[in-house]
Amino acid sequence: MSQTVLVSGPPGCGKTHWILKQIQSHSGPCGYLRLAGYSVNGLSQARDGELDLTWLQDQCPRLLDLADPDQAQATRSPDFLALIELPQFHPPLEAGLAGVDIRVMPRLRALHLAPDRHLHFGRDPELPPQDTLDFSQLQAWSLHLHRTVWDPASLSSFWFELVNGAYGDVYRAKALMNLPDGRGFFCNWMVSREGSEFLPLQGIARPYGRPDRLSRLVVQGKDLDPAAIEATVADCLLSDAVLELQQAPLRERHNPSPRSA
Amino acid sequence: MAHAVISCLHANLAALEAVLADIDQLGIATITCLGDLVGYGPQPNEVVDRVRERAIPCCQGCWDEDIIEGLNSCECSYPSQLAERRGHLAHQWTAEQLSETNKAFLASLPMTLRRDRLLFVHGSPNSQHEYLLPDMDAFAALERVHTADADTLFCGHTHRPYVRELRDGVIRVRVQTPTDPQSPPEREMALPMRRIINAGSVGEPRHGNTHATYVVHDEATGSVEIREVPYDVEHTCRAIVEAGLPPVFAWRLRQGFEYAERADDASHVCER
Repeated sequence: MSQTVLVSGPPGCGKTHWILKQIQSHSGPCGYLRLAGYSVNGLSQARDGELDLTWLQDQCPRLLDLADPDQAQATRSPDFLALIELPQFHPPLEAGLAGVDIRVMPRLRALHLAPDRHLHFGRDPELPPQDTLDFSQLQAWSLHLHRTVWDPASLSSFWFELVNGAYGDVYRAKALMNLPDGRGFFCNWMVSREGSEFLPLQGIARPYGRPDRLSRLVVQGKDLDPAAIEATVADCLLSDAVLELQQAPLRERHNPSPRSA
Repeated sequence: MAHAVISCLHANLAALEAVLADIDQLGIATITCLGDLVGYGPQPNEVVDRVRERAIPCCQGCWDEDIIEGLNSCECSYPSQLAERRGHLAHQWTAEQLSETNKAFLASLPMTLRRDRLLFVHGSPNSQHEYLLPDMDAFAALERVHTADADTLFCGHTHRPYVRELRDGVIRVRVQTPTDPQSPPEREMALPMRRIINAGSVGEPRHGNTHATYVVHDEATGSVEIREVPYDVEHTCRAIVEAGLPPVFAWRLRQGFEYAERADDASHVCER
Protein backbone atom coordinates (compact mmCIF):
# COMPACT_ATOMS: atom_id res chain seq x y z
CA MET A 1 0.00 0.00 0.00
CA SER A 2 1.43 3.35 -0.97
CA GLN A 3 2.29 5.79 1.74
CA THR A 4 2.74 9.57 1.86
CA VAL A 5 4.70 11.02 4.76
CA LEU A 6 5.12 14.72 5.49
CA VAL A 7 8.24 15.52 7.53
CA SER A 8 8.70 18.95 9.07
CA GLY A 9 11.29 20.58 11.29
CA PRO A 10 13.58 23.59 11.68
CA PRO A 11 16.68 24.27 9.55
CA GLY A 12 19.46 21.74 9.94
CA CYS A 13 17.51 19.26 12.05
CA GLY A 14 18.21 16.46 9.59
CA LYS A 15 15.03 16.24 7.51
CA THR A 16 16.77 15.57 4.20
CA HIS A 17 19.21 13.14 5.79
CA TRP A 18 16.35 11.18 7.35
CA ILE A 19 14.45 11.17 4.07
CA LEU A 20 17.53 9.85 2.26
CA LYS A 21 17.73 6.97 4.71
CA GLN A 22 14.04 6.13 4.16
CA ILE A 23 14.48 6.15 0.39
CA GLN A 24 17.60 4.00 0.55
CA SER A 25 15.91 1.44 2.78
CA HIS A 26 12.66 1.29 0.77
CA SER A 27 12.54 -1.40 -1.87
CA GLY A 28 9.79 0.16 -3.95
CA PRO A 29 9.58 3.39 -5.94
CA CYS A 30 9.93 6.69 -4.09
CA GLY A 31 9.04 10.30 -4.73
CA TYR A 32 10.14 13.51 -3.05
CA LEU A 33 8.72 16.97 -2.70
CA ARG A 34 10.22 19.92 -0.86
CA LEU A 35 7.70 22.53 0.10
CA ALA A 36 8.68 26.14 0.69
CA GLY A 37 8.34 26.85 4.38
CA TYR A 38 6.93 30.00 5.88
CA SER A 39 8.92 32.74 7.56
CA VAL A 40 7.71 33.75 11.01
CA ASN A 41 8.61 36.56 13.41
CA GLY A 42 12.09 37.36 12.13
CA LEU A 43 12.85 33.77 11.18
CA SER A 44 13.43 33.62 7.44
CA GLN A 45 13.16 30.44 5.42
CA ALA A 46 15.96 29.70 3.00
CA ARG A 47 15.32 29.47 -0.74
CA ASP A 48 16.53 25.95 -1.38
CA GLY A 49 16.31 26.20 -5.16
CA GLU A 50 16.00 22.40 -5.54
CA LEU A 51 19.34 21.82 -3.84
CA ASP A 52 17.98 19.02 -1.65
CA LEU A 53 16.17 17.41 -4.57
CA THR A 54 19.35 17.45 -6.65
CA TRP A 55 21.32 15.86 -3.82
CA LEU A 56 18.71 13.17 -3.23
CA GLN A 57 18.37 12.37 -6.94
CA ASP A 58 22.14 12.06 -7.19
CA GLN A 59 22.12 9.55 -4.36
CA CYS A 60 18.95 7.80 -5.57
CA PRO A 61 18.74 8.28 -9.35
CA ARG A 62 15.28 6.71 -9.65
CA LEU A 63 13.76 9.13 -7.16
CA LEU A 64 10.76 10.89 -8.67
CA ASP A 65 10.25 14.62 -8.40
CA LEU A 66 6.75 15.06 -7.07
CA ALA A 67 6.77 18.76 -7.95
CA ASP A 68 6.44 17.61 -11.54
CA PRO A 69 2.71 16.86 -12.01
CA ASP A 70 3.44 14.20 -14.63
CA GLN A 71 5.75 12.32 -12.30
CA ALA A 72 3.40 12.83 -9.38
CA GLN A 73 0.50 11.34 -11.34
CA ALA A 74 2.44 8.34 -12.58
CA THR A 75 3.44 7.09 -9.21
CA ARG A 76 0.60 5.19 -7.72
CA SER A 77 2.07 1.72 -7.46
CA PRO A 78 1.06 -0.12 -4.28
CA ASP A 79 4.47 0.11 -2.68
CA PHE A 80 5.09 3.73 -3.59
CA LEU A 81 6.59 5.92 -0.84
CA ALA A 82 6.09 9.68 -1.14
CA LEU A 83 8.17 11.84 1.17
CA ILE A 84 7.33 15.50 1.58
CA GLU A 85 9.74 17.85 3.33
CA LEU A 86 8.49 21.02 4.98
CA PRO A 87 10.83 23.49 6.72
CA GLN A 88 8.98 24.65 9.81
CA PHE A 89 10.47 26.53 12.74
CA HIS A 90 7.95 25.81 15.47
CA PRO A 91 6.29 22.53 16.48
CA PRO A 92 2.72 21.98 15.26
CA LEU A 93 0.00 22.91 17.71
CA GLU A 94 -1.83 19.65 17.19
CA ALA A 95 -0.70 16.05 16.93
CA GLY A 96 -0.80 13.92 13.80
CA LEU A 97 -2.26 15.10 10.53
CA ALA A 98 -4.26 17.79 12.29
CA GLY A 99 -0.97 19.59 12.91
CA VAL A 100 -0.10 20.03 9.25
CA ASP A 101 0.19 23.72 8.37
CA ILE A 102 -3.03 24.37 6.44
CA ARG A 103 -1.24 26.80 4.14
CA VAL A 104 0.50 23.91 2.38
CA MET A 105 -2.72 22.01 1.66
CA PRO A 106 -3.66 23.77 -1.62
CA ARG A 107 -0.21 22.98 -3.00
CA LEU A 108 -0.52 19.34 -1.98
CA ARG A 109 -4.02 19.06 -3.44
CA ALA A 110 -2.80 20.52 -6.73
CA LEU A 111 -0.25 17.71 -6.89
CA HIS A 112 -2.81 15.11 -5.75
CA LEU A 113 -0.80 14.41 -2.63
CA ALA A 114 -2.53 13.62 0.63
CA PRO A 115 -0.24 12.84 3.59
CA ASP A 116 -1.04 9.70 5.56
CA ARG A 117 1.32 10.70 8.35
CA HIS A 118 2.94 13.87 9.65
CA LEU A 119 6.19 13.69 11.59
CA HIS A 120 7.90 16.70 13.15
CA PHE A 121 11.48 16.81 14.44
CA GLY A 122 11.56 17.42 18.17
CA ARG A 123 8.03 16.09 18.62
CA ASP A 124 7.86 12.59 17.22
CA PRO A 125 10.14 9.96 18.77
CA GLU A 126 10.24 8.05 15.50
CA LEU A 127 12.62 10.74 14.25
CA PRO A 128 16.18 11.21 15.53
CA PRO A 129 16.60 13.61 18.47
CA GLN A 130 16.63 17.23 17.40
CA ASP A 131 19.89 18.98 18.19
CA THR A 132 19.24 22.33 16.54
CA LEU A 133 19.42 25.57 18.45
CA ASP A 134 16.31 27.48 19.40
CA PHE A 135 16.51 30.31 16.91
CA SER A 136 15.02 33.66 17.78
CA GLN A 137 16.20 35.47 14.67
CA LEU A 138 17.32 34.04 11.38
CA GLN A 139 18.26 35.67 8.12
CA ALA A 140 18.34 33.60 4.94
CA TRP A 141 20.43 34.18 1.87
CA SER A 142 21.30 32.11 -1.15
CA LEU A 143 23.53 32.39 -4.17
CA HIS A 144 22.92 30.86 -7.56
CA LEU A 145 26.15 29.22 -8.75
CA HIS A 146 25.00 27.47 -11.89
CA ARG A 147 27.92 26.57 -14.23
CA THR A 148 30.53 27.80 -11.79
CA VAL A 149 33.61 25.75 -10.91
CA TRP A 150 35.67 26.26 -7.77
CA ASP A 151 39.36 26.28 -7.19
CA PRO A 152 39.41 23.39 -4.67
CA ALA A 153 41.83 24.98 -2.20
CA SER A 154 39.89 28.25 -2.34
CA LEU A 155 36.63 26.42 -1.66
CA SER A 156 38.20 24.93 1.45
CA SER A 157 39.34 28.36 2.67
CA PHE A 158 36.02 30.00 1.87
CA TRP A 159 33.95 27.34 3.59
CA PHE A 160 36.17 27.53 6.67
CA GLU A 161 35.71 31.30 6.83
CA LEU A 162 31.97 31.07 6.15
CA VAL A 163 31.09 28.60 8.89
CA ASN A 164 33.48 30.19 11.39
CA GLY A 165 31.88 33.61 11.26
CA ALA A 166 33.92 35.69 8.84
CA TYR A 167 30.76 36.87 7.07
CA GLY A 168 28.33 36.97 9.97
CA ASP A 169 26.97 34.43 12.44
CA VAL A 170 26.15 31.50 10.20
CA TYR A 171 23.86 28.91 11.79
CA ARG A 172 23.30 26.77 8.76
CA ALA A 173 25.04 26.45 5.42
CA LYS A 174 24.60 23.97 2.62
CA ALA A 175 25.73 23.96 -0.96
CA LEU A 176 26.34 21.97 -4.09
CA MET A 177 29.73 22.93 -5.55
CA ASN A 178 31.57 21.85 -8.70
CA LEU A 179 35.28 21.08 -8.91
CA PRO A 180 37.36 21.21 -12.10
CA ASP A 181 37.84 17.45 -12.30
CA GLY A 182 34.09 16.95 -12.69
CA ARG A 183 33.33 16.01 -9.13
CA GLY A 184 30.62 17.76 -7.22
CA PHE A 185 30.20 18.01 -3.45
CA PHE A 186 27.27 18.50 -1.15
CA CYS A 187 28.69 20.74 1.58
CA ASN A 188 26.69 20.71 4.77
CA TRP A 189 27.18 22.52 8.06
CA MET A 190 25.05 23.19 11.11
CA VAL A 191 26.13 25.28 14.09
CA SER A 192 25.02 22.68 16.62
CA ARG A 193 27.11 19.93 15.08
CA GLU A 194 30.82 19.47 14.98
CA GLY A 195 32.53 19.88 11.64
CA SER A 196 31.28 20.11 8.09
CA GLU A 197 30.21 17.32 5.78
CA PHE A 198 31.64 17.25 2.27
CA LEU A 199 29.73 14.49 0.55
CA PRO A 200 30.73 13.60 -3.01
CA LEU A 201 28.03 13.40 -5.65
CA GLN A 202 27.81 10.07 -7.42
CA GLY A 203 27.37 11.78 -10.75
CA ILE A 204 30.73 12.93 -12.07
CA ALA A 205 30.78 15.35 -14.97
CA ARG A 206 33.26 14.84 -17.78
CA PRO A 207 36.06 17.39 -17.80
CA TYR A 208 34.74 19.36 -20.75
CA GLY A 209 33.99 22.81 -19.45
CA ARG A 210 31.36 23.76 -16.93
CA PRO A 211 28.93 21.17 -15.54
CA ASP A 212 25.27 21.86 -16.15
CA ARG A 213 23.95 20.45 -12.87
CA LEU A 214 22.46 22.63 -10.17
CA SER A 215 24.95 24.52 -8.03
CA ARG A 216 23.86 26.73 -5.20
CA LEU A 217 24.86 28.08 -1.80
CA VAL A 218 22.24 28.48 0.93
CA VAL A 219 23.07 30.27 4.18
CA GLN A 220 21.00 31.03 7.25
CA GLY A 221 22.24 33.10 10.15
CA LYS A 222 22.41 36.54 11.67
CA ASP A 223 24.13 39.75 10.55
CA LEU A 224 25.14 38.11 7.30
CA ASP A 225 27.28 40.10 4.88
CA PRO A 226 26.14 38.93 1.42
CA ALA A 227 28.34 41.42 -0.44
CA ALA A 228 31.46 40.12 1.30
CA ILE A 229 30.44 36.51 0.68
CA GLU A 230 29.89 37.22 -3.01
CA ALA A 231 33.22 39.04 -3.27
CA THR A 232 35.06 36.10 -1.78
CA VAL A 233 33.17 33.59 -3.92
CA ALA A 234 34.14 35.58 -7.02
CA ASP A 235 37.80 35.23 -6.03
CA CYS A 236 37.39 31.46 -5.68
CA LEU A 237 35.73 30.64 -9.02
CA LEU A 238 37.79 29.57 -11.99
CA SER A 239 37.87 31.51 -15.23
CA ASP A 240 37.35 29.66 -18.52
CA ALA A 241 41.08 29.84 -19.24
CA VAL A 242 42.16 28.43 -15.88
CA LEU A 243 39.46 25.76 -16.02
CA GLU A 244 40.67 24.65 -19.44
CA LEU A 245 44.23 24.60 -18.13
CA GLN A 246 43.18 22.21 -15.38
CA GLN A 247 40.85 20.04 -17.44
CA ALA A 248 43.07 19.50 -20.49
CA PRO A 249 45.44 17.08 -18.73
CA LEU A 250 42.48 15.19 -17.28
CA ARG A 251 41.05 14.66 -20.76
CA GLU A 252 44.40 13.41 -21.98
CA ARG A 253 44.65 11.01 -19.09
CA HIS A 254 41.11 9.66 -18.95
CA ASN A 255 39.58 9.81 -22.36
CA PRO A 256 41.15 10.98 -25.58
CA SER A 257 37.82 10.47 -27.40
CA PRO A 258 36.02 13.33 -29.20
CA ARG A 259 34.24 15.95 -27.21
CA SER A 260 30.76 15.20 -25.94
CA ALA A 261 28.38 17.01 -23.64
CA MET B 1 74.54 39.78 26.50
CA ALA B 2 70.85 39.35 25.74
CA HIS B 3 69.51 40.55 22.45
CA ALA B 4 66.04 40.49 20.91
CA VAL B 5 65.08 39.22 17.48
CA ILE B 6 61.82 40.28 15.86
CA SER B 7 60.32 39.30 12.52
CA CYS B 8 57.30 39.58 10.25
CA LEU B 9 55.90 42.90 11.47
CA HIS B 10 53.44 43.09 8.56
CA ALA B 11 52.49 46.73 9.00
CA ASN B 12 50.90 46.13 12.39
CA LEU B 13 51.89 49.16 14.46
CA ALA B 14 50.05 48.24 17.66
CA ALA B 15 51.82 44.87 17.76
CA LEU B 16 55.21 46.44 17.08
CA GLU B 17 54.72 49.08 19.79
CA ALA B 18 53.79 46.39 22.30
CA VAL B 19 56.82 44.26 21.45
CA LEU B 20 59.23 47.22 21.59
CA ALA B 21 57.79 48.20 24.96
CA ASP B 22 58.33 44.64 26.20
CA ILE B 23 61.94 44.66 24.97
CA ASP B 24 62.56 48.05 26.59
CA GLN B 25 61.09 46.83 29.84
CA LEU B 26 63.57 43.92 29.79
CA GLY B 27 66.41 46.43 29.40
CA ILE B 28 67.55 44.94 26.09
CA ALA B 29 69.37 47.37 23.84
CA THR B 30 70.20 45.20 20.83
CA ILE B 31 67.37 44.34 18.49
CA THR B 32 67.57 42.64 15.12
CA CYS B 33 64.67 42.48 12.67
CA LEU B 34 64.29 39.63 10.16
CA GLY B 35 62.17 41.50 7.65
CA ASP B 36 58.63 41.59 6.29
CA LEU B 37 58.04 45.00 7.75
CA VAL B 38 55.07 45.46 5.44
CA GLY B 39 52.36 43.44 3.73
CA TYR B 40 48.64 42.88 4.48
CA GLY B 41 48.62 45.17 7.54
CA PRO B 42 47.23 48.71 7.60
CA GLN B 43 50.21 50.83 8.73
CA PRO B 44 53.19 50.19 6.44
CA ASN B 45 54.69 53.70 6.68
CA GLU B 46 54.23 53.95 10.42
CA VAL B 47 55.94 50.61 11.00
CA VAL B 48 58.88 51.36 8.70
CA ASP B 49 59.22 54.81 10.29
CA ARG B 50 59.35 53.28 13.77
CA VAL B 51 62.00 50.75 12.78
CA ARG B 52 64.07 53.50 11.20
CA GLU B 53 63.65 55.80 14.23
CA ARG B 54 64.92 53.03 16.49
CA ALA B 55 67.74 52.26 14.05
CA ILE B 56 66.97 48.56 14.24
CA PRO B 57 69.20 46.53 11.91
CA CYS B 58 66.97 44.64 9.45
CA CYS B 59 67.37 42.08 6.75
CA GLN B 60 64.98 42.01 3.83
CA GLY B 61 61.86 39.87 3.89
CA CYS B 62 59.96 38.48 0.93
CA TRP B 63 57.30 41.18 1.18
CA ASP B 64 59.92 43.93 1.44
CA GLU B 65 61.56 42.59 -1.70
CA ASP B 66 58.33 42.22 -3.65
CA ILE B 67 57.15 45.72 -2.80
CA ILE B 68 60.36 47.13 -4.27
CA GLU B 69 60.85 44.86 -7.23
CA GLY B 70 57.24 44.30 -8.16
CA LEU B 71 55.11 41.29 -7.48
CA ASN B 72 57.32 38.59 -8.85
CA SER B 73 56.82 35.66 -6.57
CA CYS B 74 55.87 32.70 -8.66
CA GLU B 75 52.25 31.62 -8.51
CA CYS B 76 53.01 28.47 -6.56
CA SER B 77 53.83 30.61 -3.53
CA TYR B 78 50.09 30.82 -2.94
CA PRO B 79 48.11 27.82 -1.75
CA SER B 80 44.92 28.88 -3.51
CA GLN B 81 43.48 31.27 -6.04
CA LEU B 82 41.76 33.08 -3.18
CA ALA B 83 45.04 33.56 -1.31
CA GLU B 84 46.69 34.77 -4.48
CA ARG B 85 43.99 37.36 -5.19
CA ARG B 86 44.18 38.61 -1.62
CA GLY B 87 47.96 38.72 -1.75
CA HIS B 88 47.90 40.74 -4.95
CA LEU B 89 45.35 43.14 -3.51
CA ALA B 90 47.43 43.65 -0.37
CA HIS B 91 50.53 44.11 -2.47
CA GLN B 92 48.93 46.78 -4.63
CA TRP B 93 47.52 48.64 -1.63
CA THR B 94 50.83 48.58 0.22
CA ALA B 95 52.78 49.71 -2.82
CA GLU B 96 50.43 52.67 -3.21
CA GLN B 97 50.69 53.65 0.45
CA LEU B 98 54.43 53.40 1.01
CA SER B 99 56.42 56.62 0.72
CA GLU B 100 59.35 56.74 -1.67
CA THR B 101 61.66 57.21 1.29
CA ASN B 102 60.41 54.06 2.93
CA LYS B 103 60.56 52.11 -0.31
CA ALA B 104 64.19 53.18 -0.63
CA PHE B 105 64.80 52.01 2.90
CA LEU B 106 63.31 48.58 2.18
CA ALA B 107 65.34 48.38 -1.02
CA SER B 108 68.51 49.02 0.93
CA LEU B 109 68.03 46.10 3.32
CA PRO B 110 70.53 43.25 3.05
CA MET B 111 69.50 39.62 2.54
CA THR B 112 71.39 38.54 5.65
CA LEU B 113 72.96 40.01 8.73
CA ARG B 114 75.82 38.38 10.57
CA ARG B 115 77.21 38.87 14.05
CA ASP B 116 80.10 36.55 14.77
CA ARG B 117 78.64 33.02 14.47
CA LEU B 118 75.05 34.26 14.49
CA LEU B 119 73.31 34.58 11.14
CA PHE B 120 70.06 36.48 10.67
CA VAL B 121 67.82 35.82 7.64
CA HIS B 122 64.14 36.13 6.79
CA GLY B 123 63.38 32.72 5.27
CA SER B 124 66.60 30.78 4.88
CA PRO B 125 70.16 31.59 3.85
CA ASN B 126 69.12 30.55 0.33
CA SER B 127 66.06 32.72 -0.15
CA GLN B 128 63.64 35.07 1.58
CA HIS B 129 60.89 32.80 0.24
CA GLU B 130 62.05 29.48 1.64
CA TYR B 131 60.32 28.22 4.78
CA LEU B 132 62.45 26.51 7.39
CA LEU B 133 59.68 24.59 9.09
CA PRO B 134 60.32 23.02 12.50
CA ASP B 135 59.78 19.53 11.12
CA MET B 136 61.77 19.84 7.92
CA ASP B 137 64.29 17.12 7.20
CA ALA B 138 67.06 17.39 9.80
CA PHE B 139 69.86 16.93 7.31
CA ALA B 140 68.47 19.66 5.07
CA ALA B 141 68.07 21.96 8.05
CA LEU B 142 71.61 21.25 9.19
CA GLU B 143 72.87 21.91 5.68
CA ARG B 144 71.24 25.36 5.67
CA VAL B 145 73.03 26.38 8.85
CA HIS B 146 76.35 24.67 8.20
CA THR B 147 76.87 25.93 4.67
CA ALA B 148 76.04 29.45 5.81
CA ASP B 149 79.01 29.15 8.18
CA ALA B 150 76.92 29.83 11.26
CA ASP B 151 76.37 28.19 14.61
CA THR B 152 72.97 29.72 15.17
CA LEU B 153 70.57 30.72 12.43
CA PHE B 154 67.77 33.17 13.24
CA CYS B 155 64.84 33.10 10.81
CA GLY B 156 61.19 34.07 10.52
CA HIS B 157 58.76 33.72 7.60
CA THR B 158 56.77 30.78 9.04
CA HIS B 159 55.10 32.96 11.70
CA ARG B 160 55.52 30.12 14.15
CA PRO B 161 58.31 30.54 16.69
CA TYR B 162 60.49 27.58 17.54
CA VAL B 163 63.96 26.58 18.68
CA ARG B 164 65.50 23.58 16.97
CA GLU B 165 68.77 22.00 18.02
CA LEU B 166 70.54 19.90 15.41
CA ARG B 167 72.98 17.64 17.18
CA ASP B 168 74.78 14.37 16.57
CA GLY B 169 75.06 15.04 12.88
CA VAL B 170 77.35 12.46 11.34
CA ILE B 171 78.16 11.91 7.68
CA ARG B 172 79.90 8.65 6.85
CA VAL B 173 81.24 8.12 3.34
CA ARG B 174 82.71 4.94 1.89
CA VAL B 175 84.16 5.25 -1.56
CA GLN B 176 84.83 2.19 -3.67
CA THR B 177 88.22 2.49 -5.38
CA PRO B 178 89.76 0.26 -8.04
CA THR B 179 93.05 0.08 -6.15
CA ASP B 180 91.55 -1.41 -3.02
CA PRO B 181 88.12 -2.89 -3.84
CA GLN B 182 88.01 -5.17 -0.78
CA SER B 183 88.30 -2.49 1.89
CA PRO B 184 87.25 0.89 0.60
CA PRO B 185 88.38 3.78 2.74
CA GLU B 186 85.74 5.20 5.02
CA ARG B 187 85.56 8.77 6.14
CA GLU B 188 83.37 10.12 8.91
CA MET B 189 82.54 13.73 9.60
CA ALA B 190 80.90 14.77 12.85
CA LEU B 191 79.07 18.05 12.62
CA PRO B 192 78.93 20.27 15.68
CA MET B 193 75.60 21.20 17.19
CA ARG B 194 73.74 23.88 15.30
CA ARG B 195 70.60 25.78 16.16
CA ILE B 196 67.75 27.29 14.22
CA ILE B 197 65.75 29.87 16.11
CA ASN B 198 62.54 31.09 14.53
CA ALA B 199 61.32 34.41 15.93
CA GLY B 200 57.66 33.90 14.99
CA SER B 201 55.72 36.99 13.97
CA VAL B 202 55.09 40.35 15.57
CA GLY B 203 52.28 41.47 13.31
CA GLU B 204 50.65 38.34 11.95
CA PRO B 205 50.91 35.50 14.49
CA ARG B 206 50.06 31.99 13.49
CA HIS B 207 51.00 30.00 16.54
CA GLY B 208 47.58 29.48 18.04
CA ASN B 209 46.61 32.82 19.51
CA THR B 210 46.74 36.50 18.66
CA HIS B 211 49.75 37.48 20.79
CA ALA B 212 52.77 38.96 19.04
CA THR B 213 55.86 36.77 19.37
CA TYR B 214 59.60 37.40 19.31
CA VAL B 215 62.68 35.81 20.90
CA VAL B 216 65.31 36.86 23.41
CA HIS B 217 68.66 35.14 23.04
CA ASP B 218 71.54 35.33 25.50
CA GLU B 219 74.81 34.96 23.68
CA ALA B 220 76.73 34.15 26.86
CA THR B 221 74.52 31.35 28.13
CA GLY B 222 72.91 30.32 24.86
CA SER B 223 69.44 30.50 26.43
CA VAL B 224 66.49 31.33 24.23
CA GLU B 225 63.14 32.64 25.40
CA ILE B 226 60.15 32.81 23.10
CA ARG B 227 58.09 35.72 24.32
CA GLU B 228 54.39 36.28 23.66
CA VAL B 229 53.12 39.82 23.96
CA PRO B 230 49.43 40.70 24.01
CA TYR B 231 48.51 43.85 22.14
CA ASP B 232 45.42 45.77 21.08
CA VAL B 233 44.32 43.51 18.22
CA GLU B 234 41.03 45.35 17.82
CA HIS B 235 42.91 48.60 17.19
CA THR B 236 44.66 47.00 14.23
CA CYS B 237 41.43 45.37 13.04
CA ARG B 238 39.70 48.75 12.99
CA ALA B 239 42.64 50.23 11.10
CA ILE B 240 42.37 47.45 8.50
CA VAL B 241 38.73 48.26 7.83
CA GLU B 242 39.29 52.04 7.90
CA ALA B 243 42.14 51.66 5.42
CA GLY B 244 39.79 49.98 2.98
CA LEU B 245 41.50 46.61 3.13
CA PRO B 246 39.19 43.58 3.02
CA PRO B 247 37.34 43.16 6.34
CA VAL B 248 38.14 39.46 6.20
CA PHE B 249 41.77 40.43 6.92
CA ALA B 250 40.58 41.86 10.24
CA TRP B 251 38.57 38.74 10.95
CA ARG B 252 41.52 36.47 10.26
CA LEU B 253 43.87 38.56 12.44
CA ARG B 254 41.30 38.55 15.25
CA GLN B 255 41.15 34.74 15.11
CA GLY B 256 44.92 34.32 15.11
CA PHE B 257 45.00 33.15 11.49
CA GLU B 258 47.37 34.44 8.86
CA TYR B 259 45.90 36.77 6.26
CA ALA B 260 46.61 34.11 3.68
CA GLU B 261 47.49 30.50 4.22
CA ARG B 262 51.00 29.23 3.77
CA ALA B 263 51.91 27.59 0.49
CA ASP B 264 51.16 23.87 0.21
CA ASP B 265 54.74 23.11 -0.63
CA ALA B 266 56.35 25.16 2.08
CA SER B 267 59.84 24.12 1.11
CA HIS B 268 59.37 25.51 -2.36
CA VAL B 269 61.88 28.15 -3.38
CA CYS B 270 60.86 30.54 -6.10
CA GLU B 271 63.34 30.33 -8.95
CA ARG B 272 63.63 33.70 -10.56
